Amino acid sequence: MPTYKLTYFKHWGRAGFLRLLFAAGGIEYEDVRIEREMWPELKPKTPMGQIPTLEVDGTTICQSKAIGRLIAKEAGLAGRTPLEEAQADMIVDGLTDIELKLADFFVEKDETIKQEKKKKFAEETLPVSLGMFEKLASSGGHFVGDALTWADVELFSVVYFLKHEFPGDPLKGYVNLTKVTDNVMSNPGIAQWMEKETAK
Amino acid sequence: EKMPAYKVYYFNARGRAEPTRLLLAAAGVPFEDVRFEVEKWPEYKPKMPMGQAPVLEVDGTMICQSAAMARFVARETGRAGKTNLELAKADMIVDGVADLMNAMANYHYYEPDEARKAEKKKTFFETTLPQFLGHFEKLLVANNGGDGFFAGDGLTHAETFFLCLYESISKENPNVLNAFPKLTALVERIRTYPGIKEWLAKRPQTEF
Repeated sequence: MPTYKLTYFKHWGRAGFLRLLFAAGGIEYEDVRIEREMWPELKPKTPMGQIPTLEVDGTTICQSKAIGRLIAKEAGLAGRTPLEEAQADMIVDGLTDIELKLADFFVEKDETIKQEKKKKFAEETLPVSLGMFEKLASSGGHFVGDALTWADVELFSVVYFLKHEFPGDPLKGYVNLTKVTDNVMSNPGIAQWMEKETAK
Repeated sequence: EKMPAYKVYYFNARGRAEPTRLLLAAAGVPFEDVRFEVEKWPEYKPKMPMGQAPVLEVDGTMICQSAAMARFVARETGRAGKTNLELAKADMIVDGVADLMNAMANYHYYEPDEARKAEKKKTFFETTLPQFLGHFEKLLVANNGGDGFFAGDGLTHAETFFLCLYESISKENPNVLNAFPKLTALVERIRTYPGIKEWLAKRPQTEF
């Protein structure tokens, strides 16, 4: 088995999802979490001036979804056939679009514009997106086939963000999506990880 | 084993479909190159998995999201690296290129204010783009000296995405790769790649 070293800040951000995948697969790795002050020194040493990065047996990979796919494959969560892999990939990319829209108002510095963007996101963007993903998820709670894939875990991660930004249950009324997140939490590695992580 | 029937659905443009078309061309795989006019899009939209284009149809199954499509074709045609790690190296380039293409789309299509648009475009071409081209040059060199490809020892979806980026940025600035000799040579290597060379000569010529 290769040795893995994941580097990111302490918060969930773009690495929370990756830590979940390692947990789901029961894969050992070094979970390096740096202080903000350390970043300027580390930045030029990264492949594209960004984190997370994953060091695997001497090679460094960046871009969170490229890393995610690699771990998902190791964990057996990438899909069982080439077509399933492509379906998982497309769901992950589509869910990433929601992350980007969340980030858009999150990083907005002007407080008035921020609240406007946040409102638009909550009232227009999110319902349309969740409605679409509700149809793409099965009633058994999976995006691809009938087994857990990293696409399901990505939804779980997006919901984590939503819970931190908005009150209440973001998946209220979305039966299939709720089942997806239930299935994710049923993975023993993930359940254990979440308990540990949220106890901090 | 019978080759699957491939269809690519998109507007009449290179845009986000071209990385996949280039891979099909490189593999000599025939495909139906469906291009619809903008006015026809409302007819196609409800049939697409996420209401977006491009879409790759493989024996009736539809895959959307340009990187997922390209990666599928790359895999099926033996151009996705030999290991998961090589694939990851190709994927990270694709993601980096996609980030740049999104930044361009951002100022070009989604910024209504002319002054802010000009500002964003300036920042893109003077700062963001050169920074990332520098990263790509370094990563290319790190792969066996840089006279081959981004990942492993063959063309992958990383190259087809990179060519598409190059075609967009070089329209704005033909000298955009002057400071990056290995990337410059790579562009030629991709353009003259068997299958791709023929496709570039015969494909519909469009602005985007």
